[in-house]
Amino acid sequence: MSQFWEQQLADIREQLLMMSGLTERNLALAMRALVERDDKLCDTVEAEDSQIDHLEIQIDEMVITYMATHGPIARDCRMMLTTSKISNNLERIADQATKIARRSRELNTEPLLKPLIDIPLMAEIAQEMLRDSITAFVDANNELAIEIIARDRSVDSINKQLERELTGYMVENPKSITRALNLMTVARAIERVADHATNIAEEVFYLYKGQDIRHEPSLKQPVPPPGKDKE
Amino acid sequence: MNAPVNPFVARKSSARTIEHIAFGFFRTATYFILICAAVIFGFIFVKGGQTVFRSSFPFVNVPFLTQAPETLYVFQFEGKKMELGDRDFRKFKEERHIKDIPAESYVYSSGGIFPCIVGTVLLVIGSMAIALFIGISSAIYLNEYSKQGRFVHFVRLAILNLAGVPSIVFGLFGFALFVMFMPMLQDFRNPTVLSFPVGFGHYLNFSGWNVCLLSGWFTLAFMALPVVITASEESLKSVPKGFREGSLALGATKWQTIRTNVLPYALPGMLTSSILGIARVAGETAPIMFTAAYVIRDKMPWQVDHPMDFFFQGVMALPYHIYVVSSKIPQNEYTERVQYGAAFVFLVIVMGIALTSILLRIKMRNRYRW
Amino acid sequence: MKLPDTAPMPHAALAPPEESSTMIEVENLDFYYGQARALHEINISIPANKVTAFIGPSGCGKSTLLRCFNRMNDLVDIARIGKGRVRIHGIDIYDPDVDVISLRRQVGMVFQKSNPFPKSIYENITYGLEIQGISDRKRLDEVVEKSLRGAALWDEVKDRLHTSGLGLSGGQQQRLCIARAIAVEPSIILMDEPCSALDPIATSKVEELIQQLKGKYTIVIVTHNMQQAGRCSDNTAFFYLGKLIEFAKTEKIFTNPSQRQTEDYITGRFG
Repeated sequence: MSQFWEQQLADIREQLLMMSGLTERNLALAMRALVERDDKLCDTVEAEDSQIDHLEIQIDEMVITYMATHGPIARDCRMMLTTSKISNNLERIADQATKIARRSRELNTEPLLKPLIDIPLMAEIAQEMLRDSITAFVDANNELAIEIIARDRSVDSINKQLERELTGYMVENPKSITRALNLMTVARAIERVADHATNIAEEVFYLYKGQDIRHEPSLKQPVPPPGKDKE
Repeated sequence: MNAPVNPFVARKSSARTIEHIAFGFFRTATYFILICAAVIFGFIFVKGGQTVFRSSFPFVNVPFLTQAPETLYVFQFEGKKMELGDRDFRKFKEERHIKDIPAESYVYSSGGIFPCIVGTVLLVIGSMAIALFIGISSAIYLNEYSKQGRFVHFVRLAILNLAGVPSIVFGLFGFALFVMFMPMLQDFRNPTVLSFPVGFGHYLNFSGWNVCLLSGWFTLAFMALPVVITASEESLKSVPKGFREGSLALGATKWQTIRTNVLPYALPGMLTSSILGIARVAGETAPIMFTAAYVIRDKMPWQVDHPMDFFFQGVMALPYHIYVVSSKIPQNEYTERVQYGAAFVFLVIVMGIALTSILLRIKMRNRYRW
Repeated sequence: MKLPDTAPMPHAALAPPEESSTMIEVENLDFYYGQARALHEINISIPANKVTAFIGPSGCGKSTLLRCFNRMNDLVDIARIGKGRVRIHGIDIYDPDVDVISLRRQVGMVFQKSNPFPKSIYENITYGLEIQGISDRKRLDEVVEKSLRGAALWDEVKDRLHTSGLGLSGGQQQRLCIARAIAVEPSIILMDEPCSALDPIATSKVEELIQQLKGKYTIVIVTHNMQQAGRCSDNTAFFYLGKLIEFAKTEKIFTNPSQRQTEDYITGRFG
């Protein structure tokens, strides 16, 4: 049974998916800017961010209008809350992308401190988490959502390892401090992206199961997928 | 632990006692009504049944239902006691070439009550038609058209008062108005009463309609009007407001609305309640004794020279006949038979009308249900 | 009682921000039941081909105002207009020249309690035409199908057009009443709490229907159901104690009303 107001729900969902697409793209562009040392890409990332900000505001407006005029309950109510939270997380991911782009531009002014291996790896995991969390949202896939939460651990550990490594560089060579700090910030940003992706996954789980799984330590245990073992 | 005490255990209290007494009283009152009704009906059915029914074929006293009242002659002939009606008595004498024979005569105690039945039916039908027409029309006006102001309030009060007027007053009123005063269109000038020429050699003579069907119809109709109007108004009110609004909102006029969406649904209720009311009124003696009823009339109502005369003839009527045979002539065993027979037939007729109205209601209600 | 056209207005008519052509214009309307004033200086412009919802607590005058639009109040003896005007298509409908019969053909109405006539479904639809003297069978058949389709009822009743309209379910009855109203091709449909006696499923069907109708008709709906006003309407007017407190786009009223009274009412904090 299709109701006339379901169109409005569909519109909101469409906006959210568009926002997530833009965010993914921005994050990918930021990473390319870093790896390919391309200033132009940095500009693009910064320019696109405002569009994502705008989308977040628009989605919130749609959500509040829908809530006020339709008084959604049950699944629809969770959908509204989740949509708002997901868009908020996406906006923050986009902010992190901008941050990566800015740091990349600074890093581009000097030669590479070391070949970029861990950071792209981290970014790949984080991007995949983001992509999967949106897929989980679209497909109403709870298992996938749970699985994403576990992956956050690996990003954290790479980040910690990288921090130690970069601290080592800074101790050895004070000239590398700026570059090392910038790289550290980039790594932290990627780690934040993974956190936001985790948040999204948790929201998706709440949306479809109606159960709040934030701050559940048991879910944070790494369930390493085969072949991706760390340490 | 003690066993729990039942909190609902029955206790004697004054409230319960009073309740028993009160309901006992109500029950007695109801049974009393039942007993009264049973006694009245039983009495008339037993006594009247003896006159109306026969133990052998055709089981019904046909002459009683199909002949006019006659004088009963009771005499001794060749040592036997004979009871013969007027015509038979004459024939009896002729056949035996007897000049005269000592006999006791009892008026109206032989023959039947056929003219009375016919007259009553005519009175009921005519007055019903007039009462329904005037009553339903004014009910529609009062309920649908008029502003519910002081005037309507006054009219309703008048109707209520009308219902409280004793029947004998209606009789006198009908006598004064219809019998003595109503104008007749005649081709001569009546110098004794008010008379207006209307041209073509005709005059409107306010000489009254005389004792006739028309006078009786109107008198009875006026008496039934309060019941008809009240019942019709009730039926109109019971038609949901939504039907009217729905129709008016579609651009119907008020009359279109009433005709197509109110009257059809109100009519069953109107008819049944009105007919019951009229049946009640038709049983009255007082209103017709001055206006329409003859004590005895030889001709049947359809034996008229001119069609218009039909309306201007008096008729015999059952209630009046009962009144006459039970109070205007010497009472004896022979008149009693006629009294109870007539009462029985009359009761059956009135019940028949009531039954018709109920059947009508059931039939029409099935057609329109909301 | 006619005001000269140049008379200064005490209040400018409240109009929703997005201007479309005005269908019903109420100007300074005062309305009385006997001595009791039911409407106080109402000024409102109802846009064409939109759904306008009237909300407010019982006795706030919203139904009274609705019934001013097709002069249903004429049926109440003590009801009268104190001052002001109601214009539909720019014409003062209380002008003595206006024929209330033709007005009501232009302004259809659907009532709180569904009131199909105790006739067949077919006769219910054709009633409005038959009282206009239209009896061409072919034309009537067409109108019946068109109206029932318009009211999204055709598929449910096409096989039993000649059975009683009272045999339908509550929601179907109400849609039958809507079909009956659109059969005479009005430009405005007034709905006086059309769903108050319906269950949620029937209600959502009627609401769906309102959405389908709004392109063709100007719809004014009185409702006690906040969600219904929110879901169905483009503009919402809030009435309180016979006064129009606020009239704006529905999103505005429901997310950020400008009047405190409106907010208290729609959030259920009244009184």
